[in-house]
Amino acid sequence: MSNLSKQNSSLHQPDPGAQGIVVKKTTGFYTVVSNGQEILCTLTAQLRKRQAGGDPVCKGKRLGEHTDPLAVGDEVIFTSHLAGGGVIIDRLPRRNVLARSTPAPMPGAYTFEQVIAANLDLVVPVFAAASPEPKWNMLDRYLVTAEAAGIPAMICLTKLDLVLQADGSLQPDLAARLAAYQQIGYPVVMVSACTGAGIPGLKAVLSGKISVLVGKSGVGKSSLLNALQPGLGLRTNAVNQVTGKGKHTTTVQELYRLDFGGGVIDTPGVREFGLWNLPADDLALYFPEMRPLVGTCRFGLDCTHDEEPGCAIRKAVVAGRISPHRYQSYLHMRE
Amino acid sequence: MKHKYTHNKDFQCKHCHYLVTADTQYSGVINRNHCPYCLHSLHVDLYEAGDRLNACKAKMQPVGLTLKKLNKKYGKDQHGELMLVHQCTECGSLSINRIAADDDAEAILAVFARSSNPSPEFLTACEQDGIHLLNPEDARVVRARLFGWDDDATASG
Repeated sequence: MSNLSKQNSSLHQPDPGAQGIVVKKTTGFYTVVSNGQEILCTLTAQLRKRQAGGDPVCKGKRLGEHTDPLAVGDEVIFTSHLAGGGVIIDRLPRRNVLARSTPAPMPGAYTFEQVIAANLDLVVPVFAAASPEPKWNMLDRYLVTAEAAGIPAMICLTKLDLVLQADGSLQPDLAARLAAYQQIGYPVVMVSACTGAGIPGLKAVLSGKISVLVGKSGVGKSSLLNALQPGLGLRTNAVNQVTGKGKHTTTVQELYRLDFGGGVIDTPGVREFGLWNLPADDLALYFPEMRPLVGTCRFGLDCTHDEEPGCAIRKAVVAGRISPHRYQSYLHMRE
Repeated sequence: MKHKYTHNKDFQCKHCHYLVTADTQYSGVINRNHCPYCLHSLHVDLYEAGDRLNACKAKMQPVGLTLKKLNKKYGKDQHGELMLVHQCTECGSLSINRIAADDDAEAILAVFARSSNPSPEFLTACEQDGIHLLNPEDARVVRARLFGWDDDATASG
């Protein structure tokens, strides 16, 4: 082969591209970090089309369609162009994903998968001890989703300064609810971004891991990140004085590298967290305290654990081995 | 403020299978917790009325009557309203429920008649829960609470 033909063939070979991690996602644009550099990328039409292609409809849910093909934490292959930006041409296989079902705009409407983050080491559901009041059912939904995705979870209770009693103890109701989760095996960290209480302990847990903070708007996810890494300067806001709800201050998902090792993904607050593609019959398997009892009921694996006689899970709830609140969450999720 | 009794809706009685409306216009109470026809209930509340946290879910049968004390305690002081005593058919726990406006008065009298000779174990359980079960001596009070008048008093007067 002549030198000229060699040159021509190399010109027509596709650029193999560089590998990077998506650290920020806004509508249509992805910030990818590769070799310490941030590159603003778009997505090839082929990739978007391939991700959205023709998956089956499953129980009112369209798998694959209308889903964003990339999430923060994804490892991607991209090519740079001369203008300084890049184009993502492929996504590497994911280790795991944390996904929810998009809110249905009307009853009976299709819902779609919304991937919140990918390739995670830890899911951290963040809840305020007060203002806004903790939504325990939502916490259980996060934990079930994390269990289904095979990602360890740790519960983080913020705004500790608002609920501590004069003797420095927690309110009995709150302490009992948290103790139930600790008994199951979920670590619980209580922090205050204002006073700095609990922050060193949280740093120790997050160090060296890629974690995601999820929770309602106004619970203090961004404030927590500001406390974890001073100088980050994330925009925060107080909750609405009238409604007691958050103001959706954070609007983009972004992965922040931490000075003490690892990274944390800050996510916008959500009002609801629908379970995605979790069959109701398998739901009890994602409750660690119920898992050993599945299949031991009188009706075996056919038991829905609701009103069937001889249900082992109901017996365990009555005997006090399973929290009645967790059991109610399970029943709500089945509906 | 969010209403405490969020689960209050029409239902079919698990015991007599009648359809029961939870409309307060009929029942006169905001927490319909037993069938007005057979007076049976379900063991679904755990810590407080309406929390629906109990996983027992067995039927609760009416086993007697009591009176509500003033200051929301249960006992012999015959000042308060007439209350139904329910017992869970599976775990045996007792609870006390308000009588609704459309509860069958004859069925309530039948429960009262059945409870005239309680077993010592049942009486002990009632005492442990602070429930004073009404006995045949209280028949006039029961009739007065149910009908607003007393048969005996009317006949003699």
